[in-house]
Order: sequence, then C-alpha cells, then structure tokens
Amino acid sequence: MRTAYTISAIGHAAVLLWSVWSLAAKPLPVSNEGLPVDLVTASEFSKITAGTKSAPKAETAKPLVEKVAEAKPVEDPTAKVVEKKEVKAAREPPPAPESKPAEPESEKKQAEAPPDPIADALAKDEAKKPEPKKADAKPPTPPKKPAPPAPKFDPKQVAALLDKRDSARLAAAGETLNNAPSLGLSNGAAAQLSLSELEALRARLAQLWTVPAGAKDPQELVVLIRIKLKPDGTLAAPPMVLTSGKSPLFMAARDSAIRALFRGQPYDMLKPEHYEQWKDVEITFDPRDMIRG
Amino acid sequence: MSRRRLIMLGGAAGALATLSARQAAAVLKLDVTQGNVQPVPIAIPDFVAVGLPDPAGGRNVSQIIASNLRRSGLFAPIDQAAYIEKIVTIDTLPRFGDWRQINAQALVTGRITQSDGRLKAEFRLWDVFAGQQLRGEQYNTTADNWRRISHIISDAIYERITGDKGYFDTRIVFVDESGPKERRIKRLALMDQDGANVRYLTRGDDLVLTPRFSSSADTITYMSYREGDPKVYLLNIETGQREIVSNFPGMTFSPRFSPDGQRVIFSLQRGGSSNLFVMDLRSKATMRLTDTQVIDTAPSYSPDGTRISFESDRGGKQQIYVMAATGGEAQRISFGEGAYSTPVWSPRGDYIAFTKQTESKFAIGIMRTDGSGERILTEGYHNEGPTWAPNGRVIMFFRDPGGNAGPMLYTVDVTGRNEQILKTPSYASDPAWSPLLQ
Repeated sequence: MRTAYTISAIGHAAVLLWSVWSLAAKPLPVSNEGLPVDLVTASEFSKITAGTKSAPKAETAKPLVEKVAEAKPVEDPTAKVVEKKEVKAAREPPPAPESKPAEPESEKKQAEAPPDPIADALAKDEAKKPEPKKADAKPPTPPKKPAPPAPKFDPKQVAALLDKRDSARLAAAGETLNNAPSLGLSNGAAAQLSLSELEALRARLAQLWTVPAGAKDPQELVVLIRIKLKPDGTLAAPPMVLTSGKSPLFMAARDSAIRALFRGQPYDMLKPEHYEQWKDVEITFDPRDMIRG
Repeated sequence: MSRRRLIMLGGAAGALATLSARQAAAVLKLDVTQGNVQPVPIAIPDFVAVGLPDPAGGRNVSQIIASNLRRSGLFAPIDQAAYIEKIVTIDTLPRFGDWRQINAQALVTGRITQSDGRLKAEFRLWDVFAGQQLRGEQYNTTADNWRRISHIISDAIYERITGDKGYFDTRIVFVDESGPKERRIKRLALMDQDGANVRYLTRGDDLVLTPRFSSSADTITYMSYREGDPKVYLLNIETGQREIVSNFPGMTFSPRFSPDGQRVIFSLQRGGSSNLFVMDLRSKATMRLTDTQVIDTAPSYSPDGTRISFESDRGGKQQIYVMAATGGEAQRISFGEGAYSTPVWSPRGDYIAFTKQTESKFAIGIMRTDGSGERILTEGYHNEGPTWAPNGRVIMFFRDPGGNAGPMLYTVDVTGRNEQILKTPSYASDPAWSPLLQ
C-alpha cells in the first residue's frame, strides 16, 4: 500500500515537475508575422477593400515603401559584366597585394562565366571597400577566414552580403512611395485570406458597381435586386429588379447595378458545397452612405 | 396582462413569423453600400454616314460625343482600335459578345444622313451586358447643325447612363483677355461648352466684367465701363442689340437674371456703401432690396426665384447671406475661417458655390443652402467666379496662376473630382454657363 502511494506520489511529482519544467523553460513563441486584427463592420470592410477611388489598378499587392530609392540601372546581365570590369580596374591603384595575383584569373573566369547576379552584387559590394575582407583569390592571404577562390555562389558570402545591406538600409525603399501595407488593398493577400465568401461577393459587386456620384436625390438610387445563380456561379436568369421607379436617376442606378451583376460572373468565390445557401440572393444596392460621405 | 406586454408579445410573434418566412424562402440577403465612381467604359464607333459631303462626317460626330463624355469624367470612351465588330448599319443588333470582350459596358451606334441640306441623325444606346437598347432617338436639323446634334446626342447618352440631365448642348460666355498684362484687352466672348465656335461679342474698347446668361440663353447681362462709370447692360447675342439696364447716378455692377428672365438683380454703389436692387425688365420698375451702410453685392437667385444669396461685409468680413427675394431680414450662412464671396445658387437648388479667401489662397467651394456641409473643391493662388452647369453637377471657374500669365477656365465636379482645363483662344476669366439650349 505504502509502496503504491510512494510510486503514485513520485509519478505525480515527476509529471508535475516535467510539465512545470517544460512549460516554464520555453517562453511563449513569438510570432514573427503579426496577424493584424481590426474589428470592422461589414460595410467598413467593403469600404476598405474597395481601395482608393483614384488609384490606378494594381495587379499585385505592392511592397511597403517608405522612401524612394536611388535610381538603379536597369537589370541587364550583359551590361553588368562590363561594369564590373571597370570597378576592378579602379581598385587596382591602392596596393592590395594579396588579391592582385588572383585578379586575372578571376576576371577571366567571370568574363567567361554566365552572368551570375549574386556574384555580381557580391563583387560590387566588395569594390566599395578599400580593404577587401575576403578576397576572391588565394586561401592563405585573408586574415580572418579563408574564402573559396572562385567567385561562385557561396551561402556564407550571401549571408554576409545580406547582413550588410540590412544594416545600411533605413527605410523600405522602392521606386515609388507606397505607404499602404498590402492589407486593406482589394488585391492584398492578407485581405483575401480573411474574406468570407459573402464578403468576397460584396467586395466584387462593390468593385464593379458604378455609383452615380454627385446625384441630388440619393434615395432614388437604392435598388433591390434578386438573382438566381447556377452552381458554377453564373446567373441562371437575368436579375429581377424588386424596386420600381420611373425617374431617370432610378433607371440609371438600376441599370448600373444590373451591369455590375452581369459583369461579376462567375461568382466563383461562392463555394459549390454551400450552393444551397447562395443559389438565391437578394441584394440591396444602396449608395447613400457613399454619397453623403 | 398589461397592454404593453401584449404588444410586446405580438411584436415577438411577428418577428418570429418574419424570421421563419425568411428561412423558408432561403434567400440570401446582401447589402452593397459601396461602389466605385470609375468612369463607365463606352464604345462609340463612327456613325454610319449616308450622303454626307464630308467623308469624315460620321467620325466627327462620334468624336465630339466621345470627347464630351470623356470630359465629364463619368465615361471612359474605348479606343476605336480595340473594336472587334465594325458597325455598318444601326438596324440590326450589335454582336454584344464582341463588345463585352473589350469590356465596353455601353455602346453607341448611329447614322447620320444628309439630303437637300437637311440632316437626319439617329442613334441607339446599348447596354452591352444586358444586351438591351437603352435609348434610341432621331433628330432632324439643318446641315450646319451637326455639331449641336452631336452635343444633343451626348446629353441623351449622359442622361440615360447617369440619370442626370446632360450639359453638353450649352454655351459659355466669358471675358477673353489678350495683350500684355499692363494693357489687357478684355472682350466678351461666346463659345460652345467644349470650347468650339468662339465668337466675340464686344470689340474690347471698354472694360467688361461679369457676363451672366438669362434663362433663355439668348440674352446676357454684364457690366461695362462703356459710359465711363460701370453700368449694367443687356445684350442679345443673336441680334447684337444692346441696352443699358440702369441709368442711375452711381456705379451699378454684379448683375444677374432672375430664373424667369424677367428681372435683373444688381448692386448699386453710392458713397461708400453698395446695396441690392432689382429691376423688372418690362416695366423698368426698380426696387431696393437692402438698405445698409456696408457693401452688399454678388446677388444670386435660388432656382425657384424665392430667395437670394449675396455677399456682405455687414458682420465685419465678407460672408454669405440668404434672404427672401423681396428683401427683408438676411440670414448669414457662412461661418468658416476667411472671407466668402460670389455665392452662386446651383440650378438644382441644393448647393451654393462660392469663392473663399483665406490668408493667401483662393478656393472654390460649395455649401448647402443653410450653410452646412461646406466642401472645398479646389484651392490655390487665385481661383474665382464659380458658375454652374445647368445640371448642377459641374462648376466652371477661372484660375490665375499669378506672375505674367493670365487666367484660364477650369471645370470641376461637385464631388471635387475631375478638374479639367478648358482651352480658350487666349486668357479667359469670368465664365458663365448657359442653360441647356432650346
């Protein structure tokens, strides 16, 4: 009995200790990619995903750019080989005995070798420094660490290169300023990931629906339309307009809503497995908030 | 059981009933409250020309329509090079698939036929995605009216797609400014809304300012120094007949027609003050509307003719006031920073456009007629003189960049979008937009 108690106690203690140890030893993992969560209403969401009205259509999400980068020459592999030769020549006057003997060989190699952007960038980076840390020459000469003789791809060198560039960079640079992170753009990946099917449908219609902006009587622009959809997401029949009106403004609003519905086909964001729920949709097009704002 | 509880129960039952009814119908409900304000892509192939002396006649018409619609900012005419179907007749259905493929949402087909100096213009407006005709019309006119016909067709398309009346069959009267800055010659000039057909109405001997259209679009009123002192004149632009409106001692200026065209309202300056007067053009009877020791000027009628907006410095600084068309107590409606001037009532009655001066900037803006909802449409070194397109959706004004350059005419949408310069032969100021031509 006593033995049993002891075994049980030791067992429990061991489990407890193990759990405490294992839980306490590891800090909570910090996610590098923060998942931004904003609470927005459905209409706000549509507004966000609608994007900027005057902005040009971007095919893909643009990277965040905080400052304009200096103009870079266009990537041209053949041009780069020539450029590199000049850089090497400029480096010659300062005495750099250890790298000198290697130069003709390496240069020749590079001229012959197919253009290698990584090697080029690496060499360029080296050219900036008066004292080359790791000459692409002989193994014994470098004081710190031996480098392979050929300017071939070397993971270690790449790592060094990347580190240097990172520390030198103050802001995300690019050709054009772009303060908007891709979240919130209609084509941003983050926004698409979190879209529910319904929101995606709403977003598509909002994108296609042209609102008669500047209209005087926005209440005449409210249109209720019912659509029946086929499982492939196309319209089973022409949209049925449930509101009625005779004013030119209403007719214009009605037609622009119908156009959006036609153009939005196929509604492939609606998953076939949920077909029963979306085969019949009643949509209210109401631009009043938009016009007021 | 109290009555309230009964009502609540009833309400709950009602709500339940609706709920179950909806579930039974299984209709997915969706509210779309945001749309885009992108221009509608529209295809306007050359009109089919029959019996036209000018082989480019059909193309000219379609180009004027395309240019009108493009300038409005609400349409994006598609480059003709992209067209797949060639329109050779307007009597058969277009191949909608061909037009859908180039993303046209609307298509305009037309034919223009000339015989015996008469012109017949027909057009059809198609909804490409619905595959339906939205509008089809036919006009008969004299051969030299082909440009106007193009504007009228533009208006019909604009109205059908946007739901608002168009403003393309209109004219602009403005002050043409030529010569060096210190010796500017100012002439009254008239042109079509798109800048075509410029005509000069005065020779430039005397300084002319602030021309305004009457509701019939054939008469203008303006101020001129012809008699030495500035006076208000009437000018019939068809006959060239000129008439002085007010021959009182003192300076009369800032005239504007009443919406019915029967009266002219203006400012009369005597001594250091200026007041508002209105004259009946038939009886020549003049009535005083304000009696102050300050400067009341720039009067403008509401479209129903019952109220007047004007600027006054009675509160110390220029502000906008509104009062009854018969005079009486005025109500201040502008309260923002800076000085407000040149209020102009929108033809559709919902807004008053104004010039606003703050420190070193002149802005053009709009506010509701009670002064709420102020919105600045454009701002800069010098912007002045707003005038409304007859549909109340576009404002024209002039902008002086300063320096040796002179003023130019610009248009901007009431939403503040789509600012565009309007080409004129030389510098231009003080534009006034006509109503739709009759």
